Amino acid sequence: MSSGQVTKRVKYKTSVKDAGTPGRLSLVKERLLFRPNNPNSASKLDMQFKYITNHRYTKEGSNKAPMLNLTSNQACSLFAYGVSYIFEFERYEDLHICRDFVGRALAPPVEAPNLGASSQVPSEQPSRDDLLFRARLLQDSSELQKLHQQFVGGGVLTEAEFWATRKKLLEKDSNTKSKQRGGLKSSVLGESKPLIDGRTNRVTFNLTPEIVREIFSEKPAVHRAYLNFVPSKVTEKDFWTKYFRAEYLQRSKNIAAAIAEAAEDEELAIFLKPDDILANETRRKIRRVDPTLDMEADQGDDYSHLPDHGILRDGSKEVPEPGNELYRRTLLQDLNRHAAVVLQGTPIDEEQLKDTQTVAEALERSKQERSTASKDDDSMADQERLKGISQAMTIDDLRGSNDHHLAPLWIKDPRDYFDSQQASSFRTSMEATKGSMSSQEAYGLLRESISQIKSMGLNHPIVAPEVAQKVLSVLTHNISSTKYNLGKKPGESLLDSLPTSVRDELLHHHISIEELMKHFWSSYPITTKYLNTKVIKLKDEMSKMDSQLQKLKETVQPDIRHQITLLIRPMQQALEAAMQHYDAEQQKRASKAREKPNGYS
Amino acid sequence: MKFQIEEVTVYFPYDNIYPEQYTYMVELKRALDAKGHCLLEMPTGTGKTIALLSLITSYALAKTESPIKLIYCTRTVHEMEKTLAELKFLHNYQVKHLGAAAKMLAIGLSSRKNLCVNPTVSSAENRDSVDAACRKLTASWVRSMAAENPNQPTCEFYENYDRAAGGAVLPAGVYTLEDLRAFGKEKGWCPYFLARHMVQFANVVVYSYQYLLDPKVAGIISKEMQKESVVVFDEAHNIDNVCIEALSVSVRRQTLEGAIRNISRIENEIDRFKDIDAGRLRAEYNRLVEGLALRGDLSASDAWLANPALPDDILRQAVPGNIRRAEHFLHVLRRLVQYLKVKLDTDKVEKESPVSFVASINSDAGIDQKALKFCYDRLHSLLMTLEITDTDEFLHIQTICDFATLVGTYARGFSIIIEPFDERMPLIPDPVLQLCCHDASLAIKPVFDRFQSVVITSGTLSPIDLYPRLLNFHPVVSRSFKMSLTRDCICPMVLTRGSDQLPVSTKFDMRSDPGVVRNYGKLLVEMVSIVPDGIVCFFVSYSYMDGIINSWNESGILKDIMQHKLVFIETQDVVETTLALDNYRRACDCGRGAVFFSVARGKVAEGIDFDRHYGRLVIMFGVPFQYTESKILRARLEYLRDTFQIKEGDFLTFDALIDVMNIKLTDRNLNQRQAAQCVGRVIRSKADYGMMIFADKRYSRHDKRSKLPGWILSHLRDANLNLSTDMALHIAREFLRKMAQPYEKTGSTTGRKTLLSQEDVEKLGNNGAQEMLY
Repeated sequence: MSSGQVTKRVKYKTSVKDAGTPGRLSLVKERLLFRPNNPNSASKLDMQFKYITNHRYTKEGSNKAPMLNLTSNQACSLFAYGVSYIFEFERYEDLHICRDFVGRALAPPVEAPNLGASSQVPSEQPSRDDLLFRARLLQDSSELQKLHQQFVGGGVLTEAEFWATRKKLLEKDSNTKSKQRGGLKSSVLGESKPLIDGRTNRVTFNLTPEIVREIFSEKPAVHRAYLNFVPSKVTEKDFWTKYFRAEYLQRSKNIAAAIAEAAEDEELAIFLKPDDILANETRRKIRRVDPTLDMEADQGDDYSHLPDHGILRDGSKEVPEPGNELYRRTLLQDLNRHAAVVLQGTPIDEEQLKDTQTVAEALERSKQERSTASKDDDSMADQERLKGISQAMTIDDLRGSNDHHLAPLWIKDPRDYFDSQQASSFRTSMEATKGSMSSQEAYGLLRESISQIKSMGLNHPIVAPEVAQKVLSVLTHNISSTKYNLGKKPGESLLDSLPTSVRDELLHHHISIEELMKHFWSSYPITTKYLNTKVIKLKDEMSKMDSQLQKLKETVQPDIRHQITLLIRPMQQALEAAMQHYDAEQQKRASKAREKPNGYS
Repeated sequence: MKFQIEEVTVYFPYDNIYPEQYTYMVELKRALDAKGHCLLEMPTGTGKTIALLSLITSYALAKTESPIKLIYCTRTVHEMEKTLAELKFLHNYQVKHLGAAAKMLAIGLSSRKNLCVNPTVSSAENRDSVDAACRKLTASWVRSMAAENPNQPTCEFYENYDRAAGGAVLPAGVYTLEDLRAFGKEKGWCPYFLARHMVQFANVVVYSYQYLLDPKVAGIISKEMQKESVVVFDEAHNIDNVCIEALSVSVRRQTLEGAIRNISRIENEIDRFKDIDAGRLRAEYNRLVEGLALRGDLSASDAWLANPALPDDILRQAVPGNIRRAEHFLHVLRRLVQYLKVKLDTDKVEKESPVSFVASINSDAGIDQKALKFCYDRLHSLLMTLEITDTDEFLHIQTICDFATLVGTYARGFSIIIEPFDERMPLIPDPVLQLCCHDASLAIKPVFDRFQSVVITSGTLSPIDLYPRLLNFHPVVSRSFKMSLTRDCICPMVLTRGSDQLPVSTKFDMRSDPGVVRNYGKLLVEMVSIVPDGIVCFFVSYSYMDGIINSWNESGILKDIMQHKLVFIETQDVVETTLALDNYRRACDCGRGAVFFSVARGKVAEGIDFDRHYGRLVIMFGVPFQYTESKILRARLEYLRDTFQIKEGDFLTFDALIDVMNIKLTDRNLNQRQAAQCVGRVIRSKADYGMMIFADKRYSRHDKRSKLPGWILSHLRDANLNLSTDMALHIAREFLRKMAQPYEKTGSTTGRKTLLSQEDVEKLGNNGAQEMLY
């Protein structure tokens, strides 16, 4: 309130669609004044902030004009409980200044008098953190965003109302939960075969940030070498050229050549040498391995297989292949390492997959974090595991009752997930039912026989009876097929058979109606004016929705209309029930109001 | 639950019990009552271990006047851990219901490598170097030196333990290796020596077979076990192998070269000692004259691996005069090594009996039988006198002395076989001189003689009457139990054709056929997409697995597999395999699902369980084979025929089931037992379920298939005998769906109960178990 007073050019409107009265809006400490440019205009306004219960504003970037909407609870007339004053500004900057002013001015009066009403009204003073968090939620879920845009943007619900039904989402717990990261792909990327063109001796390897991530996390020594040498000692290109040269030598199993090259080039040798970081990690991990499968401990306990004791050659043991240990790395080892890394997961987000340098640095950072964090985690995790082992040792069905502690399945986008599952199963079932003819095929058959008749003249019989039979049965079957087939097959779902656009629209309608219903029914019994206005608004929206549904039904293609009708029916029923309830209430209220001419306050 | 078997109250830590477990306990109790040995066979997945443990501990609780000790032998350390986990569960239950009276001390014992908590020692690479590193810090002369010289490093854990002396005891409880280490770290006591000390007082000791069967180890660990002990050998179907391996030695060129180096080093040491402390060598000589091979007062930390010969066979005599002097003994060793070197330099296979071998040593190298026999003790004494701590450097000469002692002690039951090269790879010269034991009863005899009851049990011990002959003992109880299943939870299939309807096999002429490789790959690709959680694949050999994975990788099949599940592979490196297994389990636990590629004869197949979701499907690619013309095998067969009148035919049926020898004369290279071993680990309880696919056309032949264990055969339906990939896929889908349905656990719908409640058991106790169940 540093400035004390703010004056801006605005247009004053009573509703959004109103053309508005141009004038000046001045905000002072406790009240707001509107002076129209035309002094004769009736729409002068002088109001104290304490009567204003609510303020909304259009978002910057939406294509609406910058407007501020103030709701007052000043009882001017009996039912006009929530009068809104709308000011359209010329620029967003002006809007922001006024909005902040109003926000500040409104802050104290929240707990000021008028308790009866304000306790019912969800307070609209979320903290900055909350706002940020909400914005993030909206960003994360397109579905939520659509709903928000539709209802809050459309003025049907206030921001607070919208969020009030989503308290759970807003809970700080879920806030602190880390975002689910997509796991790594199982398949080996780096193993992608080099491209060899037949004519020259050139071998081409492809490298993407994803592959780089895989290489770095599977081969920490390469990662370290990269951090040490690039770009101070070698260029990035040279680094990778050497790396792939080493890989190529490995793969060609030409150990002699590998040794020779490594002797000449020390950087190349790094790639060929066994990874010492990995070896250390292995040593650390082997100490914490599940003791019930620790075969290394077996080896440490096996006194009858002292070197040269026991039976060496009874045909049961395999003779290990001789080889140069130093430069031997097998595909099997690589696969094991790869799977271990995939299982461990990656600390790098998709966004960080930009170029080699960022990937390398991000990996390094996360490694440090992990090493500091894991120290105390480890012992906890060990305890957990040991508990798990003893649990695994018990025989399940001998126990009387067992209460399994199951972790809830957490899927980032459930609809996506289940849709894809459904779709694949649906596809197979579609393939399976291909036996029956489509209507087009049937029609084709008919035409074929007609043309036959045309060319050959009418024989006796005109149409081969079996063809006629087929055509008729298929055509009739198709007409009533939906009736027969609907819901008969477990893998098939009505929704999946619709075109995507229609399906999406339907789903969106469904969700919107759900949202409306939630708000509508939670407003009963109507005890305050606030709720009353809310219900009225909701009702309007509902009837809009109803007509939209109707329109949808009419515009879809005739062959799926039946299915659509089936799907829409429950939504319409829900809407209807709500409307009926509203009308009944309204009548009841009207009769009551007649009894009590004063109405209720 | 709590119930009576005759006068013994059995505490069983579950609310229900399988009828098999109950009858198993009844039989076991009879054997304990009779104080005799017994043989019990019960299929996997019926809770053998917990039944054994709860009966024996309850028996011990009931008979307080003559307390019995349980010595439980497992094949491997991880089986030991599993047993201890079950014991812990049982112990908690018993303490909860009986209070302090049920408290007992149970420990698992292993080598220094697995128990040491001293960071400098335990970081050593392998077992021998850990042992040596420990001796460097704890040998009695090192410690006495440290008393004078504070800079001499010692092990603080051992020092603390030694200082605590009698006060160093473990409180009651069940201690896994990890628990022991944790306890040791907390108290600052050496867990290894503490555990070894506590073995005498513990109620239950769990360790591996060798600690009882291998005289080298048993001599130092299990010397003082009381007679009133029950010894259990679990998973004992290949116990005879352990027995013969314990008494076998093989000598290779590297061994001899190493031995020569060792001898020179000992020589140097002797020279050094002559200069500084000649009295010590003289003292040793005097001691040997008096007939004491070793000083009587050896401290535990000095203990070495014991004499490789069995305790009864070791002569209690003075060391013969010609090897009493250190220099003379070294000359003898040199001549022996030289003689073996000449022997090894042959280009044809030779087989000799110990008697003739000893005779020719005597004539050619001038070493008599008695000198040979004392070689081990003489070497041991010498190394002690010379205060040598880096024992891991002297393994070669030790091997030679073990060989000498064994060959000098035993005239029967052994043979010496010299092979210039591995017959499978005739081009690579690698001569080996093997002293192989043929008689499994030799090593186990002291155990049968010493302990009151020995229980030999496993999932597969058939034919059960062969074991008493093979191990030469007389069991008071010998029973084989069948498993009653509530539902068909095992689904074995024989897949003979691939998706292109062409036969698949790993027979020699077909194994490298790209069609077969592709068909095997396609089978797996299809299966990974429908089977949840874990799938285990077994291949016939490492080289075959390596080849097939490489070609799958090239043809993109591997990529298809990886779209559904992660891939983990057993390699010849034990550490890597262990980590791969650990990760495999994690992947199964977290729901990602994984495939484990393993080898039918590898370490994983031998002892790792793939129960529950860790193995919903096991695929055996091909028929495991073994090189069967091995000279050692033939020699053993001959010996068994001559000594125990075990006919070759008898042995062959036995053979097909147990991985002793795995030879089949009619169709060589077949080892169904191995296949059964691989696929037999998918069932953990009657609630568990799993599928097995035997992917080879040869399994469809009756004579091959009939070698599979009965419990698999009984579930193998005729319709599943000759499948192609698509049919197998269909059956698998159906099976998985069926298994996902809820079912009646007690099996009361099928007429015979497969799960007994407290009430049922009480009724059984009253009516006599036998009538109702069999």
